[in-house]
Amino acid sequence: MPASIPRYLTETAQAMPDKVAIVSSARSITFGELYNEALATAECLRGLGIAPGDRVGVCMEKSIDQVLGLLGILFANGVVVPILPRLKQPNVEHIVQNSGMSAMITDAERLGEVAGFADVTRLITGHGEISNDWPNLPYLRRFTQPRPFFDRICNDDAAIIYSSGSTGRPKGILIAHRNLAEGADIVSEYLGTREDDRIACVISFNFDYGMNQIWQTIRKGCTLYLHELALPNDLFAMMSKERITALPVMPVIITKMFDRRLKVSTSAFDFSAMRYVCSTGGRLSAEMIADLRGAFPTARVFSMFGLTEAFRSTYLDPDKLDTHPTSVGKAIPDCQVMVLDEHGEECAPNVVGELVHRGATVNKGYWRDPGNTAKVFRTHPRFPGETLVFSGDKVYRDDEGYLYFVARADDMIKTKGFRVSPTEVESEVVRHPDIIDAVAFAVMNIAVGEDVACAYTTVSGKPLPETVLRQFLKTSLPNHMVPAILVHFDSFPITGNAGKLDRSAIKQAAFERLGITAEAGATSAPVARS
Amino acid sequence: MNNELQLLSDYVRKETSHSGEIDADEDLLASGILDSFNIVSLALFAQEQFGVEFEAEELVRENLAKLSNLVALIRRKRAEGASRS
Repeated sequence: MPASIPRYLTETAQAMPDKVAIVSSARSITFGELYNEALATAECLRGLGIAPGDRVGVCMEKSIDQVLGLLGILFANGVVVPILPRLKQPNVEHIVQNSGMSAMITDAERLGEVAGFADVTRLITGHGEISNDWPNLPYLRRFTQPRPFFDRICNDDAAIIYSSGSTGRPKGILIAHRNLAEGADIVSEYLGTREDDRIACVISFNFDYGMNQIWQTIRKGCTLYLHELALPNDLFAMMSKERITALPVMPVIITKMFDRRLKVSTSAFDFSAMRYVCSTGGRLSAEMIADLRGAFPTARVFSMFGLTEAFRSTYLDPDKLDTHPTSVGKAIPDCQVMVLDEHGEECAPNVVGELVHRGATVNKGYWRDPGNTAKVFRTHPRFPGETLVFSGDKVYRDDEGYLYFVARADDMIKTKGFRVSPTEVESEVVRHPDIIDAVAFAVMNIAVGEDVACAYTTVSGKPLPETVLRQFLKTSLPNHMVPAILVHFDSFPITGNAGKLDRSAIKQAAFERLGITAEAGATSAPVARS
Repeated sequence: MNNELQLLSDYVRKETSHSGEIDADEDLLASGILDSFNIVSLALFAQEQFGVEFEAEELVRENLAKLSNLVALIRRKRAEGASRS
């Protein structure tokens, strides 16, 4: 059976048409209905001129209609391009143009972010009331006969997911149908996701992690409960009422769930059905693990690790969380993770090398970027003709084979589940009339992954009041990109010859001023080098 | 416009750089004016500003996402406080 999400949904809808697939606060939908409505959506998109291989944007709030948009594009032989929330206009423009998007499905909540692109790409509403301005999928579906015409093979393009790159412009990762399908199989295998699971989905469908919850649900025939986390009590009430069994999270979500200021008492809820919690996107602190175990004593806690270029690489066996708390675990099923030295040889235990990933989740490359694709998606003499991901990330393996993350290849700041480009922060900070130069960097804060920090110099030589500077930045930057830590310098050290800012010296000086050690500032864990 | 509502909407505008008017009956999470981080800040600001303390079960979207509901909660808490003392 060739692997793709449309094929998986076709199978599950035939096997259990009346089983509830997705529940939101507004409505629920069975697998039979999901299949028929996804096909009808595809037919509508075809009627609107979407051709096979066309890139179609999805800029919507989390809803069943958003899932129908994603599935409709796949069933229409199109390529899904999620538009992440609250991107600045130049970034949306870059995604629209770089992907060559023929149409974009949006909704009333997020129309404001993309309405300006109506003359560059075709806008379609995927949710809400009809209007004279844009074609409306829920309305059109009512007059459309579902008819299957999906004909992609497993190597064909299924999605392009953009994430911030070091240059500041988002890079698109091209994902094949089989990557999505095998992601569903692999993750549900090691988590043990099964038909009677009820998954609480608090994560976003704009990233591979969130979409994978839909794919697992379709593959296993379980039920997905959509929830937008704002106040933990609302999430806990839903989980208790629906007898949720599985909860995929990220460190920042755990921090929100157990926010001490909100005096949440989880003992007021019944979580006895809980089977697992899984987390990716950063290390779990001892406190987070204790909070999860305290609230969900019946749940196994999975800590997972992945690269954008290969979706997921490792997970830690829940039984090893106490004995190996800082490890990212071992390779996921059907994938191999190697630690290679500069000659391409496997490193001995406890020696730091590059993480190289081979196997089913290796994506197709960077969209329309052969230069960067050639740097990261490469072959190795031991596996001729096969494409591996050379992550550039530094890791090592201990004597038992458990992997430990040491340092990332790029200088991206990972905060609140987002990748933030320092360049992008700096270019906004220096727009302030009193600011001369700015250097943005990460400061370890396990509650959110990392904090965005920014050192700056001023014309007046005086620091700006923090609230004034933040107010200024909030007008042009999304909240997660506004520096949590601001450090004023009288002047910046520059490197000897070219007069370039000495970024690492500035970072070190800022760490000293903030009273933190270089280790706490860097993402690295202490490493035993042999 | 009453005083509580004015203070709360001023706070939301300052915290989010939202420049327009704020409708007291608008769900600020749905409209994207507030996110999951600053709705918590709003709740903490309201407690501090109006000298009330919300119970865990009162810290829910129903009470916080619309300023009209938040004002009602603040008034209820103040009335409870006054009747106790």
